[in-house]
Amino acid sequence: MSEQIDFDEIFARYRSDPYEYVDVRAAHTGRVALRVQEGDVVAAPSGEWDQIPGTRLFEITRERNTKPVSAKTNGTVSFLAGELEGQFVEAGTRLLTIRHPLKKKEIIEGILKEVLDLFPAPERAKYFFALDIQSRIEKKGARSIVIRPGDEIIIMSLMKRDTPVYYSGKPGVIYSVYFEPGVSVAQGAPLIGVCSEEKLPLIQKIITKVKADWDKFGSSESD
Amino acid sequence: MTVAQNTVTPAMLRARIVGSEQTPRLGLSAADSEIILRLGGHVGSEIECYSVLGRAMEQARAHIRMAEQAGRTAAGGTVILADCLAGSKGRFTRNWHAPIGGIWGCLLLPDGLLDRARMLLPLTLGMACCEMVREQGISQAAVRWVNDVLVDGRKLAGFLVEGYRAPLSGENWFLLGFGINVNNTTFPAELSASAVSLSQLLGRSLDLPALTASFLARLAWNIGLLLYQEQQDLMVLPDDSGPACHLVLDRWRSLSDTLGRRVLYGYNVEQQPQYRARVVDIRPDGALVMRLDDGHCLTEYSGEVRYC
Repeated sequence: MSEQIDFDEIFARYRSDPYEYVDVRAAHTGRVALRVQEGDVVAAPSGEWDQIPGTRLFEITRERNTKPVSAKTNGTVSFLAGELEGQFVEAGTRLLTIRHPLKKKEIIEGILKEVLDLFPAPERAKYFFALDIQSRIEKKGARSIVIRPGDEIIIMSLMKRDTPVYYSGKPGVIYSVYFEPGVSVAQGAPLIGVCSEEKLPLIQKIITKVKADWDKFGSSESD
Repeated sequence: MTVAQNTVTPAMLRARIVGSEQTPRLGLSAADSEIILRLGGHVGSEIECYSVLGRAMEQARAHIRMAEQAGRTAAGGTVILADCLAGSKGRFTRNWHAPIGGIWGCLLLPDGLLDRARMLLPLTLGMACCEMVREQGISQAAVRWVNDVLVDGRKLAGFLVEGYRAPLSGENWFLLGFGINVNNTTFPAELSASAVSLSQLLGRSLDLPALTASFLARLAWNIGLLLYQEQQDLMVLPDDSGPACHLVLDRWRSLSDTLGRRVLYGYNVEQQPQYRARVVDIRPDGALVMRLDDGHCLTEYSGEVRYC
């Protein structure tokens, strides 16, 4: 975490534009058939297990194999590459952008993600804390657990293969936990957010300020 | 020091492989079969046999550490066997009963696999065991995703793969733990209705070293098959198209009874069952596709199922 972060600038940014812009790109090469229009409201996956797909965004066909792609987040289509309708596109081509309205909790998490050291998931898998860390968390809470590079902190579970994940960031306490036992985490998504012990008060100050500013701001979004 | 009873040597294993594994299988040519045997040939390059251990996985870690401290690397394919395990455990906090009479051990493999092969590696254990059991005439033996081996609903064998990073070199290893009930016939009360051994099924005791060699020979074949498939993937995948070679999954399908079954799914299904569904597919990377009662499908990359 850097002392150089301009918190006022971050707050101002969220205040003026409390949205996250999620680009949706072609996962692989293929011919694209768009299924939404600019301005359309799209829904995220739903159901107890998120088993109901979000709004169908487009289909991409390669070698007669059509793959539907659905929204992973709710929001409004703020950009659509309409000129690519029916065209053959390369993997990674930006096809649309979803403007996702942020809730207070998401804004706090967003700001924290800018100031914490994030430790990403090495693979798409399910994760749980190593037994030693878990028992210490249960006794004292995550925010009292100091971790250092090389510590075995998390177990990655994939196809009945359990692999220890060794922490490789800066020393600090586990401030935020972004995974739940039994729920898959995408590769590269943060597992935990870590900050040094001496900076814990600063983090708390950020959260207090966001909550206060949010109330002053008077947004209709709730947490 | 007590002499180990389940003593298998690399020479015994080689003889087993040459004796019965060298016939072409799965429609492969003799040349391809030879490549597969060569690719899996490191399995059992060294075999350590103990009368009793705490956990075979722990012994494997110690073996890797001791090799490092001696300025060398542990041999890939080393197998650790024990007549019984005093501190064995299953996944999570479950008990694993490992008395004299079973095949208990661990295989050490260096982590040199690409992503898909890494995903499929745990399947090879169940495949090897199921093949070995069917060879004994128990044709109804089947693999339950991911790699449990069941006979008529009772668990005969269980497997677990753990990763390990060597402390000095930072090399990553796979530790493939195996537990197969063979001549052991008594189980703790909580397992007596759900576990079974080969001798119970056949009504006689079996030659444990010979059976262990048979299991390891089939494991060598299936790991060779996995590496062969990886080679084929690399040869035919110039871009981001899907995998073309499905030898491992095709074989797994032929040994498993999970596809089409109604299951209870959970990450830790015994303590925290999540949902009921019907298994409709297994993806090229081994993930299970299940259809819920509302008609929607979920894909799971880890966790476990129970038939219902």
